[in-house]
Amino acid sequence: MADERREMFRQLVLYSHVGMSFVFSILIGFGLGWVLDHKVFSGKTAPYLTFVFFAFGIVAGFKTLWTLTKQISND
Amino acid sequence: MEHPILFISLILELLGLPVPHTPIGHTFLEKLCAPYMTYTWMVMAFLIIVPKLTLGKMEMIPGSGQNFWEVTIGGLMGACTDTLGEKGAKMLFPMLATFFFYIVVSNLIGVIPGFLSPTSSLNITLAMTLIVWVTHHFLGFKYHGLKYYKHFMGPSKVLAPFMFIIELISNFARLISLSMRLFGNIFAKEVLLTVLFMLAGAYFAPLPILALGVLVSVIQGVVFVMLAMIYCAGAMEEAH
Repeated sequence: MADERREMFRQLVLYSHVGMSFVFSILIGFGLGWVLDHKVFSGKTAPYLTFVFFAFGIVAGFKTLWTLTKQISND
Repeated sequence: MEHPILFISLILELLGLPVPHTPIGHTFLEKLCAPYMTYTWMVMAFLIIVPKLTLGKMEMIPGSGQNFWEVTIGGLMGACTDTLGEKGAKMLFPMLATFFFYIVVSNLIGVIPGFLSPTSSLNITLAMTLIVWVTHHFLGFKYHGLKYYKHFMGPSKVLAPFMFIIELISNFARLISLSMRLFGNIFAKEVLLTVLFMLAGAYFAPLPILALGVLVSVIQGVVFVMLAMIYCAGAMEEAH
């Protein structure tokens, strides 16, 4: 019984983590692209790197979802 | 935002020490006297003194004090062993249990008037998260050597550079989401309590938030430690 509850709680923690890490992945991707555009290349490549890294951020968000679903189906 | 009354700050001001009115002071002494620092030290003192007092001499038939600690430590150790395995749990348990007790106690004292949760400062939660983050990468390198980079490269060679960037981003997202979650929850609780005390403190308006605050405090402590465990377990297992 205790083990069952603990397992349930562990999965709850994992699920509750999805939303936040998804959002922050996208924000970090966007921020990284923006910094590369405006600080490193001083506006020469703007706004392309921002878009590219924004896309990377979205993919990273989905990647965390993907690994989580794989983890759950393994259990 | 200024907290109504903080008794440690009041005592320090009476002693003539400079207590900063911004979250972080300007001079070194002001930084040491910032409420977050002084309340962190209070929690540390609490965690050192109270177990000493309640535990006393270890006995075969435990009294109420020893019973409490045995149940909490045993439960934590069980959760640790489930995720990390016997060996990993023994290695990481001291750090994780310290985090758990520190977070839970410092969350819970925020419910009492006159106290401030140290965890409602992003500096402290970020520091704790950085420790976890560095530890889990260190464990990765310890267990896999330089082959740890395979964790970041994904399954196929063609996609490896892209996967590296994506893994990097999701790793930094871990850092931010773990610290922001703890900070956000506790800070929201503190602000809500302050506002409700000011608006309708005489009519017990903060009571439901106080009850929720106790719940959130314990849950956030457990969640932080659980996620730290899961990250460490992920770094220790083989690359897929």
